[in-house]
Amino acid sequence: MSRNDAFAKTGKTAVQQNIQGTLEFLQKYPPFNQMDIAHLSFLVENCQLRFYAEGEKIVSPEDGPVEFFYIVKQGSVHGERRKGQDASQETTFEITTGECFPIAALLGERATRTSHVAETDTFCLLLDKASFVKLFGKCEAFRDFSVRGISSLLEHANQQVQSRAAETLGSQYSMETRLSELAMRQPITCEGHLPLHKAVQLMHEQQIGSLVITDEMQRPQGIFTLRDLRRVIADANADLRQPISELMTLNPFHLPPQASAFDAALAMTERHIAHVCLVQDGRLVGVISERDLFSLQRVDLVHLARAVRHAVSIDKLVQLRDEIRSLVDRMIAHGANSEQVTRLITLLNDHMVSRVIELCVERHGHPGVDFTWLVFGSEGRKEQTLYTDQDNGILFEADSQEEANAIRQKLLPLAREINLALDDCGFMLCKGNIMAGNAELCLSRQEWSRRFSKIVREATPTNLLYSTIFFDLRAIWGPLEGCQTLRREMLSMVRGNDMFQRMMAQNALQYKPPLGGLFRNFALDKKGLEKDTLDLKVKGLTPFVDGIRVLALANGIESSNTSERIRQLVSKGVIERLDGDAYAEAYHFIQLIRMQQHQQQAQNELAYSNRIYPDELNHLDRRILRESFRQAQRLQASLTFRYQL
Amino acid sequence: MFRKSPELRASDALRLAALTPPAALSEQPLGEQRFVVVDLETSGLNTLKDKILSIGAVTIEHSAIALGQQFSCTLRRVNHAVSESVLIHQIPPSEVAAGIRAEKALLNFMEYVGSSPLLAFHATFDQRMLVREMNDAFAYNLRHPFYDVAEIAPLLCPEHNMRNPGLDDWVSFFGLQVLQRHNASADAMVTAELMLILLKRAERQGIRSLQALDISLQNWRRRQQNVL
Repeated sequence: MSRNDAFAKTGKTAVQQNIQGTLEFLQKYPPFNQMDIAHLSFLVENCQLRFYAEGEKIVSPEDGPVEFFYIVKQGSVHGERRKGQDASQETTFEITTGECFPIAALLGERATRTSHVAETDTFCLLLDKASFVKLFGKCEAFRDFSVRGISSLLEHANQQVQSRAAETLGSQYSMETRLSELAMRQPITCEGHLPLHKAVQLMHEQQIGSLVITDEMQRPQGIFTLRDLRRVIADANADLRQPISELMTLNPFHLPPQASAFDAALAMTERHIAHVCLVQDGRLVGVISERDLFSLQRVDLVHLARAVRHAVSIDKLVQLRDEIRSLVDRMIAHGANSEQVTRLITLLNDHMVSRVIELCVERHGHPGVDFTWLVFGSEGRKEQTLYTDQDNGILFEADSQEEANAIRQKLLPLAREINLALDDCGFMLCKGNIMAGNAELCLSRQEWSRRFSKIVREATPTNLLYSTIFFDLRAIWGPLEGCQTLRREMLSMVRGNDMFQRMMAQNALQYKPPLGGLFRNFALDKKGLEKDTLDLKVKGLTPFVDGIRVLALANGIESSNTSERIRQLVSKGVIERLDGDAYAEAYHFIQLIRMQQHQQQAQNELAYSNRIYPDELNHLDRRILRESFRQAQRLQASLTFRYQL
Repeated sequence: MFRKSPELRASDALRLAALTPPAALSEQPLGEQRFVVVDLETSGLNTLKDKILSIGAVTIEHSAIALGQQFSCTLRRVNHAVSESVLIHQIPPSEVAAGIRAEKALLNFMEYVGSSPLLAFHATFDQRMLVREMNDAFAYNLRHPFYDVAEIAPLLCPEHNMRNPGLDDWVSFFGLQVLQRHNASADAMVTAELMLILLKRAERQGIRSLQALDISLQNWRRRQQNVL
């Protein structure tokens, strides 16, 4: 027996004992937690452990092609890249316990582009290149991670979210299902000259609730539904022989067959329709009914929107609030992303606010003047979660100051009543009194315009704060034109005032993403009841919302929604596509974590809070969250550069 | 043959004869020095009477620990009684009985060590035990140098401010995250990790070879005596 064999044999138990600890350590971290135990053992048995003192270079561009795959066992490592001419180093990333590097360089058989430096005293496990290659060939989880890196994790995290939510709901339906998969049967159509009674007969025979009227090229001309039939029959003079083309709804709403179930559900809710035509290349290829969505999705979004719209009392709306909450639960279970969920909450909230206003007007009596209900802040940006307070105001038209004062006096009592009713429905009263019932926020268009102009001219801290609230305005009830005009005025004021833009950019830097110093992943609050927590909204979302707002307003973008603003900034070439995608992805991930938290708080009957304990997140979520904060940091850095702050 | 040697199996005798003597105190850079870090579990603390129950060892080579090349074995002992050591290390008598033949285990270990110097925490104890066991078993004179991590640590970290720090104290001093403790191989691993940190310190303090470390240690011991 050779000496080596002897070692191998006696070593076996030893190795197993000591390797067990390292195995268990790695099993806490992705991708190692997804690897086969045999592959993981192979990895550990071929690793060496090394120590790097604080400040020591672990691997750098000068070292030539990378020889090892490194896993941080303890400590942290950061990347340093030399900035242009001057000798200062820029920290590009941070790698901590359980994470590995430098994968791209290793796969590319090249040197690293950045120096990896121990930020604190650090232990790394090193796997030699030959073993890395072997493992890469053998282990799918490892290969997948190596090739796709963090985005494979993101997918995994989303799967986790969905499967967790699905566990409680026992459902596997997906909101992402394509409509073409749902519309199984051939659409039943007829031509416009068919008499009504023939058309109804056809609908009865085919057991369908809608009939699409097409021309000879199968291009949809109109739609006739059972609801239309009710309307026709209710009319005593109805002639059953008249052609269907005179009774149909013209130009029916349509979507491409590639659109998702979510798109259809949203369209039905927005438009109060029960059928959506599927049209490809101008030709009708299918029809999706509300029932198709229900039977498959069980998402009674449409039903809920309708119930809100027709609620007979505030009490009824209060009850519906719980249904919205459980709908949101299901949405997350169905794989909706945070953007879809916030859009949906906003949509239902818009319906609810409109209904509250209508009910109050009914109760209070109409004030006799038209007014527009404005919303600001997250509501204005269509980014509401279930945990929300009111930020609203009223806009009306007046020819003179006297008239404005008079109208205001008429509107204020109603506005206050609406504010209170909204509070009953779960929209908490605004602590800062940003509410329509406040005389300063119940203004004529000219008054609003003066107010906005003052904010832009005198960039005091208060005015800057106001800009972050009011400049995300949106009208949700009443005539829309006044709000549109006001927004355009505001955009041109901001565009023409570089000083204000600069101040706004400065203001957008005030909340730093909570990335910790040397020893921690996150910067956490250190004192009091909120010890060891971080505020996801203020520290995580606000940097994105504020930063993107600056760029959007400065570039005349009318949308108030952060994702939409990012999309338009990208298409205008203000920010790079890759950056825009990264910002949007990061923003949505933080929002998703926040919504999950709200969901859980509601289940446990706790008060809503935006504070999380990062230690309670799983490793994957924590890591992506940190990556997301880093994107916020990048956005802020780009503002600093752009505005030379 | 002046003294009575123990009876040897022929195969053991061959292996014994082939063991490498210790290398001379080296001037090669400390970073290239090979060390074997050892930890023993014994039936008690009496180095004259008690027996080695298990040996755990880890190699440091080029300032790295190869995880796949560790040494660990339990020695087969008859009449192994339950002692306090058993309680600490949790080696049940059944496992001791199931271990490998003591002579074979010792030879395996010595082959693993080769000519390298040994490191241990409170090394005097491990040294005495191994010297005596090698002598009892083979009349072999174990002359490999032992370096005590319990001395190297305070030498290189005079700022430690602890009274008679033990292994656990150093572990928390350096904030080492320990995955396992209290079996010979795990303790050897912890000691080795500690040594990786210390080697880096030595380098930074200008101690470039084992020879230089040895001299520093002698001076340090002298200073300690003077203080007392």
